[in-house]
Amino acid sequence: MQQVVAVVVFGLAAVVLGAGIFRTSSMVRSALSLLGSMAALGALFLALEAEFLGVLQLMMMATEMAIMAIFMVMYMMDPGGLGKMEMAHQKRVAIAFGVIAGLTGVALAVLPAWAPIVAVAPGPTLQVHDLGIELLTRSMLIFETAGLAILVAMVAATAVAIVRRRP
Amino acid sequence: MTSELLPISLAIGAGLFGIGIYGVLSQTNLVMIMMGIELMLGGALVNLVAFWRLLHPDNYAGQVFVLLVMTLMALDMAVGFGIATARFRAKGSVETEEAAELKG
Repeated sequence: MQQVVAVVVFGLAAVVLGAGIFRTSSMVRSALSLLGSMAALGALFLALEAEFLGVLQLMMMATEMAIMAIFMVMYMMDPGGLGKMEMAHQKRVAIAFGVIAGLTGVALAVLPAWAPIVAVAPGPTLQVHDLGIELLTRSMLIFETAGLAILVAMVAATAVAIVRRRP
Repeated sequence: MTSELLPISLAIGAGLFGIGIYGVLSQTNLVMIMMGIELMLGGALVNLVAFWRLLHPDNYAGQVFVLLVMTLMALDMAVGFGIATARFRAKGSVETEEAAELKG
């Protein structure tokens, strides 16, 4: 029962903070809201007994959102939101699509007869051990592909952003 | 452990995904659009973790999938900010409504 309460509380926190991103005209508040939402997701993973993924999510998102906040202050005309700029368009269409997607997802979550759930999860130590074995045996090619994708993205991002020198 | 945990987790993922879609479609700023994409991927993460934990905790391919989606989130940020930097240098703004010349 405690686990259900924890999942509901952290899940609702993630959803409410996620909605808060688009409800403020301050970029800094938006970034903090997203940070809160992602941190709540990390706590949700911990509540679901996926300890390694929860800690990874918390650490990764804290760094990622800090970088995002810096970029926001750099590139936004009004990062503090003091001018109350309107930063949205086609709101009705966007709300309609968002609601349809959300309700479809909820229907797909509630309606099917899911297989019986497994009550006992492997302990945190065993999870990390077995994930390591999985990454370095059966899923090694996938893991290497992810590493290669990171390298390609780093080169691509640098190539796009670099100042071109005229000959 | 109750059987409601799976639908609850999936519904939370669906909520995050719906809010993300709203953000991607409604925001005019490139950085805000990227935030919407992050939320959508966050919704996908919740689903993947719930499926792994509640249906197949003995099969770690589910966790590998989660790691891949986390990688995707980082890549989307890196490339997105690269494009934002290039756009800001060229036009002084990352507003999508000022990028009409990209229309086919």
